[in-house]
Amino acid sequence: MVFPVLLSIFALSSISIPFVYLTGKRSPRAAAIFVASLILINLGLLAGTIPTIMDSSSHQWIETYQWIPNLGNTQFTLFVDGMSVSVALISLVLLFTATIYSINYMAGKKNLPAYYALICMLSVGLVGVFLTSNLLLFYFCWELMLVPAYFIVGEWGHGNSYKSALKLFIFTHAGAVFVLLGIGSIYWLTGTTEMFTVNGILGAQAMLLGVSASNIIKWILLALTAGFAVKMAVFPVHIWLPDAHSEAPAPMSALLSGVVISAGAYAILRIVFGVVFPAIDVTFAVSFLHALSIIAIITAFFGSFLALRATDIKRVIAYSSISHMGYIMFGISLFPVSVAGGTAVVLASSIAITGTILHIISHAASKGLFFLTAGGIMHQLNDERDIRKMGGLASKMPFSTVSGMIAALSIAGIPPLACFISEFLIFMGAFQLIAADSFYIIPTALMLVATVFSLAYSLRFISKVFFGTAPGELVEDVHGGSNCVHDSSAVCTGGGHGGKFDVPNWMKAALAILAALVVLIGVYPTFFMQLIQTVTFG
Amino acid sequence: MVTIFDVILPISTLIVAALLTIPVFKLIRKSTYKTGLTLAWILAVFITAGLTIANLAFSYYSTANPVPLNLTLDGTSNPTIAASFLIDAISIYMAIIMIAIAAVVMIYAVFFVKSADRPSDRYFAVMIVLTGALIGAVLAGDLLTFFIFWEAATAAAAFLMLYRKNTFSLNATLKYLIMVIIASAFVLLGLSIVYGLTGTLNYIALRNAIGGITGADMNLLIIAFIFIAAGYAIEAAIVPFHFWLPDAYTAAPAPSAAFLSSLVDQGSYYILIRILLFIILPPAVGGIFDWTLMLAIMAALAMIIGNLLALIQNNIKRLIAYICVADVGYNLIAITSTTQLGLIGNLYFFLIGGLTTALAFMAVGIINSHGFRTLDDFAGIGKRMPWTSLALVMAGLSFAGIPPLGGFIAKYFVFTAAISADLTWLAVIGILTSVIQTAYIFRLINVMYSKKPKDGNTSVIKENKYLLIPVFMLVIAIFVLGLFPDIVLQLLQPILTQLPWAIP
Repeated sequence: MVFPVLLSIFALSSISIPFVYLTGKRSPRAAAIFVASLILINLGLLAGTIPTIMDSSSHQWIETYQWIPNLGNTQFTLFVDGMSVSVALISLVLLFTATIYSINYMAGKKNLPAYYALICMLSVGLVGVFLTSNLLLFYFCWELMLVPAYFIVGEWGHGNSYKSALKLFIFTHAGAVFVLLGIGSIYWLTGTTEMFTVNGILGAQAMLLGVSASNIIKWILLALTAGFAVKMAVFPVHIWLPDAHSEAPAPMSALLSGVVISAGAYAILRIVFGVVFPAIDVTFAVSFLHALSIIAIITAFFGSFLALRATDIKRVIAYSSISHMGYIMFGISLFPVSVAGGTAVVLASSIAITGTILHIISHAASKGLFFLTAGGIMHQLNDERDIRKMGGLASKMPFSTVSGMIAALSIAGIPPLACFISEFLIFMGAFQLIAADSFYIIPTALMLVATVFSLAYSLRFISKVFFGTAPGELVEDVHGGSNCVHDSSAVCTGGGHGGKFDVPNWMKAALAILAALVVLIGVYPTFFMQLIQTVTFG
Repeated sequence: MVTIFDVILPISTLIVAALLTIPVFKLIRKSTYKTGLTLAWILAVFITAGLTIANLAFSYYSTANPVPLNLTLDGTSNPTIAASFLIDAISIYMAIIMIAIAAVVMIYAVFFVKSADRPSDRYFAVMIVLTGALIGAVLAGDLLTFFIFWEAATAAAAFLMLYRKNTFSLNATLKYLIMVIIASAFVLLGLSIVYGLTGTLNYIALRNAIGGITGADMNLLIIAFIFIAAGYAIEAAIVPFHFWLPDAYTAAPAPSAAFLSSLVDQGSYYILIRILLFIILPPAVGGIFDWTLMLAIMAALAMIIGNLLALIQNNIKRLIAYICVADVGYNLIAITSTTQLGLIGNLYFFLIGGLTTALAFMAVGIINSHGFRTLDDFAGIGKRMPWTSLALVMAGLSFAGIPPLGGFIAKYFVFTAAISADLTWLAVIGILTSVIQTAYIFRLINVMYSKKPKDGNTSVIKENKYLLIPVFMLVIAIFVLGLFPDIVLQLLQPILTQLPWAIP
């Protein structure tokens, strides 16, 4: 009997939700530490599966439990392989940092017990999505991350937050019903909700190969892709993202932009490409991939342009998430077509997809760091959000400046930071593919142009926020250091005394963890790459 | 071995208890522990009735591979007109869910009537009669016995609506009664034709007799069945016969609305299943005519119109009533699919739909009793009445089909059944209307949590703990059934072996 690692992760978090709430009634800080330690335990448990994944011949870790035998023998299948374990690990890291960051950031806000209980609930859904290979259970978790997100954004967000939360919910739920349609159709065609063959029982992937109704499979592929694309917020279904991600409280923005939207990318890889793609014919597969790459380019440019124009500190970052989903979508569009014919492909032979999954990870770390830094700046500047009113923060918030620059430069794709290496791998893969499919020449060239815009908005962010002078400091000079008495500049009102006003310690710890991770992935991506490259598609 | 006595016992227990309720309440009324004694009496009745149904279920399932049993009062095996009862997996399942939901709603009613300070012995007596009549109806083995019990149930339902005795509830009840009388006329006309042609009204005998009908008689028989189905369609409030329902449910006090929506509604779908799937059979397996397309269109209309009308409602109770109208559509999808999956999904939907609508009406009832009725009134309720609001949010999420609540599994069954029956267009309409449902439910949640009350009063209202007990019993039930639907699905498995037709 192997220790039920994955089940413990599920059970531990879900059982703890009411206890987190009760702890929070006594002390919100204790609840935060409770959640953080739960996540750490989960992180440890999940790490325990890595040796098995690396060494076993199947490179998987599977646990199955009875669930609904009367519904097509639906199992409670918990499954991790190199791809899911690495995305789940980064999600847990981000959840951990967001939680300890909340100790300072959320201090003094109302209803904190409910906040931490919702974070705990979110962790069940968010991590659960990566840990299962049963379609029904996947959908459970998929929606379970939506409901707490709605309440967190609505209740603790800025401005007209419930409206943004509603937008978030309706859009992603509308996407989710397409996913449901796809899952229902897969169940109808195959009579199973298992994705993969487990313990000799055939899964949907294997059974779809034997189904002759290839027209319906095409529709399933499109329905699932459309549903997941809403979560990814690619053009033209991106409209919910800027509002929700910028109005949310910073830790939630970090989670939403960092991992929740990437869950869409993960789901496309896992379900669309892992389960359905092998069953479709090659010509359709090629045009499908080409279509994806065109959408990817529009998304990348669109996001970058909006990020260049935005003046709201969190909106800049939210738009950059859209453009980065474009990169990820582009990476996905480089998927090896040979899988569609039924050939199995090990990711060790596909640099592009390895790079895409690595980009999910490095984007999560960088974007999490970016949002947490921005949240820290807003927190210290009395919720000022306009970057035109900022400036010169480098001397006042040195710690945040360092973390913000690491994040911004990583997002811009500057070596040796995390996003550079993953984007580099995607482009390597693209150039490799051009030899086989000349269609990709133009998309690849355009994507390279798009990276320039990423650099542009990142540098604009750095120079506007951290360097230069704030409008207020000019006044200060004129009046001889009178601590900006009569101006409204954010920098002056925030610090108050003209001295340093960097973020509090818990927030510093959260920023430090992510900044270290961004650098580490950039310098030494091998850990994740080795994990990812064990994955087999088809 | 099930005897006729086992079948009569639960029905007679409830009806006798209803008759006893009035003298018992005369005694209780003077006591200082009025509420406690009322509760004790109601619990005693429902536990006894529950035990008799459990006895029926256990004795039925004690034999290996139980077959549908037709039991008559006069002991003949193939009755023509004698009152008969059909005991099979579906009727036992329906009886169990009805007694269970009724018990929870009754507990709520005890405290609700107390908190509204209008004690009424007749009210409880009528509720118990209604439960008894409905259980008699689902256990009935021929269309006439069903009809008699069903008329008793609708008469009782009219009394439940009339409880408030104001103009609005009088009007609503009148509307309901007129619709019911028209429906009964249709049904009676249909029944007399069917009896004249086949010489029987017994479900099983009728199914066998249909095969022998030919020519012009067959056309007449089809028309007769359309009359019967139309009659029950009116009572099930299928669009376009739905307009009595929102008024009736809005006029009825909360426990009545919960009762009507979760029990009477389900009873009328039940008879549609019996007629369409068990007597005239699906067209693919020798049904006498193809009713699926017509029903599919009605399902689509019910979902579209029900949800669109819900979207424009301002009164929250009325909004929930329109969700009931839309839910009919989701139920019909399952019947239309004529698959085993659809049938299972349908029966599961009865349970979840019943629990969820009951929960929604109960929660809204608590909020209404503090004087908050419209969407504007609900502003800020989420913070003023946190626990009741939580229950309402849970009901709403279950309606919208958000996992892990029960409503999701129910909808999953229904849509999968539709897809597997090549009715993908219907599934797509169902899914898109679910999105509309999500939209207005979240608009409500939005108002409840984000808006400030108009009068600026944000003080927390003290919620009645006793009322919350039955409410949260239902919340827990919806959660558990969403996570572990197998508890119920196991009960439904024998149905598949008992189907008179088999499409996988």
